[in-house]
Amino acid sequence: MKILVAVKRVIDYNVKARVKADNSDVDLTNVKMAINPFCEIAVEEAVRLKEKGVASEIVAVSIGPKACQEQIRTALALGADRGIQIETEASPNSLSVAKLLKAVVDEEKPDLVLLGKQSIDSDNNQTGQMLAALAGYPQGTFASEVNVEDGSAKVTREIDGGLQTVELKLPAIVTTDLRLNEPRYASLPNIMKAKRKPLAVKTPAELGVEISSTLTTVKVEPPAERQGGIKVGSVEELVEKLKNEAKVI
Amino acid sequence: MSSQRDADHQQIIAQLEQLLEPKRVLTDAESLENWGRDWTRFHTPAPLAIAFPKDINEVQALVRFANEQKLGIVPSGGRTGLSSGAVALNGELVISFDRMNKISDFSPVDRTVRCEAGVITEQLQNFAEEQELYYPVDFASSGSSQIGGNIATNAGGIKVIRYGMTRDWVAGLKVVTGKGEILELNHDLLKNNTGYDLRQLFIGGEGTLGLIVEATMRLVRPPRDLTALLLGVPDMPAVMRVLERFQKAIDLTAFEFFSEKALAKVVEHHPVQRPFESKTPYYALLEFECLNEELMEQAMNLFEECLEAGDVEDGVISQSLSQLENLWKCREYISETITRWTPYKNDISVVTSKVPMFLEEIEQVVNSQYPDFEIIWFGHIGDGNLHLNILKPDALDRDEFLQQCENVSRQVFDIVQQYKGSVSAEHGVGLLKKKWLGYSRSEAEISYMKAIKLAFDPNNIMNPGKMLDV
Repeated sequence: MKILVAVKRVIDYNVKARVKADNSDVDLTNVKMAINPFCEIAVEEAVRLKEKGVASEIVAVSIGPKACQEQIRTALALGADRGIQIETEASPNSLSVAKLLKAVVDEEKPDLVLLGKQSIDSDNNQTGQMLAALAGYPQGTFASEVNVEDGSAKVTREIDGGLQTVELKLPAIVTTDLRLNEPRYASLPNIMKAKRKPLAVKTPAELGVEISSTLTTVKVEPPAERQGGIKVGSVEELVEKLKNEAKVI
Repeated sequence: MSSQRDADHQQIIAQLEQLLEPKRVLTDAESLENWGRDWTRFHTPAPLAIAFPKDINEVQALVRFANEQKLGIVPSGGRTGLSSGAVALNGELVISFDRMNKISDFSPVDRTVRCEAGVITEQLQNFAEEQELYYPVDFASSGSSQIGGNIATNAGGIKVIRYGMTRDWVAGLKVVTGKGEILELNHDLLKNNTGYDLRQLFIGGEGTLGLIVEATMRLVRPPRDLTALLLGVPDMPAVMRVLERFQKAIDLTAFEFFSEKALAKVVEHHPVQRPFESKTPYYALLEFECLNEELMEQAMNLFEECLEAGDVEDGVISQSLSQLENLWKCREYISETITRWTPYKNDISVVTSKVPMFLEEIEQVVNSQYPDFEIIWFGHIGDGNLHLNILKPDALDRDEFLQQCENVSRQVFDIVQQYKGSVSAEHGVGLLKKKWLGYSRSEAEISYMKAIKLAFDPNNIMNPGKMLDV
């Protein structure tokens, strides 16, 4: 069984993001970048399926400038067998990404495509669903458990107020939620081995996809500054302030 | 007699209340216990009162008053000390700097900032961050420790290999001496060769010469792209060879070590992931600024060399800031994890190159004489600083254990003395190490230290009985 897993290069989850002075976007100059945490979980799940003997090959794909090869190498170090970079300087929207991945799916014909449920930079939560629609595959989103057996995948989904289990006939699309697994560290010996694993570079044109921009970011604003706390002298004063100033009771 | 003493105490307290204001002099039992001690729990605190001055003039007034009354003063900061340096046992006046926590006079050109003694370390770190600068002295208790206390104990921590101790970050000091005089020391100068640098005496002076009231602290460019390597190492000599190899090529911001026993306890008691499956007797945690790809490449090559030489068996590298944080947890959680075994703790140092032999000798002594004792090692190995921890066997009662540890201490310090090491690497002397001071300092040295103490504090009112007796 072949698994295709998508990884995205994003601003490191722990970085305190700053907004550019002209409010056009988040400032990424000299900022630490890392693999999107949900994608990392997808890679880990793929590797676990391979360790269980369910999967035989893992292909990691990323879309972006040359720098995103770093995240592909991370996936390779974690256990993916080969990588594909779709090179572009543009920041494609979810639909373009889904189209690019669809083209890769057509070429690679994976039995399972694992993606993070969303990337922590744009927070769209669309790509997996769009890819499923474009490819005509069944989808199991927000997975907290994945079991693959006899040509189908049982996916436990985290939904509001509980869990839902769906069974998907392979090939299928699965997007990962936070509780699916705890990703391992890439070991240094594996990082070194990953350097020798194949990494193919393709362009959107080669895949026959035109990246169209149908969406413009108008404005990016940081969250409002937190107000400093105050000390109150008595319970009465607290109640008074909660009533009249904070207006919460 | 006792009622006479009570009456005297009441009078002193009334006068203190006049010097400050009544609400800034506390005498209730809970406050006396709270401000009357540091993190150590070997003694029962019994101060006379806790005073909270607001400025240097009030501090001076308190010191002058204490001289008149021959009243001992115990300075109190964040009370996170581990050597009983800030405990008041004999009716002393505790002067807390909690109300003196202003940061002012930031100078971007000098990259300095003025802190009152009660500024909390984290407050300074955050201030620096807002200015896009960095205060690099960092340790587990930075959320409560105060700058005055850090200076008085010359606090170290986890970045010493790159940034040095607190001493290296003090540009200037304002102190009230034991005599009650205000001194402004060094005037924040970088170059100032005008005789004895009295500032240095107050740094690490543990409040025995006077009170640090204000300090000008240096700041530095913040580190970029910190990356950690956690390596599995077969033995201590190999740890040293790893250090040697890496230090030749890369400026490390940290080089820590801990034993498998320490890691096993951390992963058992915290949701911390083992970095790799293979278990090795020791682990080395290295951190550096991974400023470019070449550095990363170099780190990889060094790892490969270590692997080939058999000095390293496995390893991981942080690929995100959360991984960096999680790798650090393996090291930072040790101290807290082992508290449940009421450990005997010791903080000692030797010249870095001698660490393996030194460690081996101590292990031999403990293992041969106390086979039931479990030793947990960790520490800032890049600085030659080892934290020796011995866990109390469940079968042994607490007092018996403490008594046996006293014997262990004597033997450990004998070895420290042979190696010309320090009986207190970064925790200070206080009450805890006072009787061992002679294992690190010669008689002649100690007599000079006493003379210095009396020059600043002729009535011996400043933190009396700490560090040395006069």
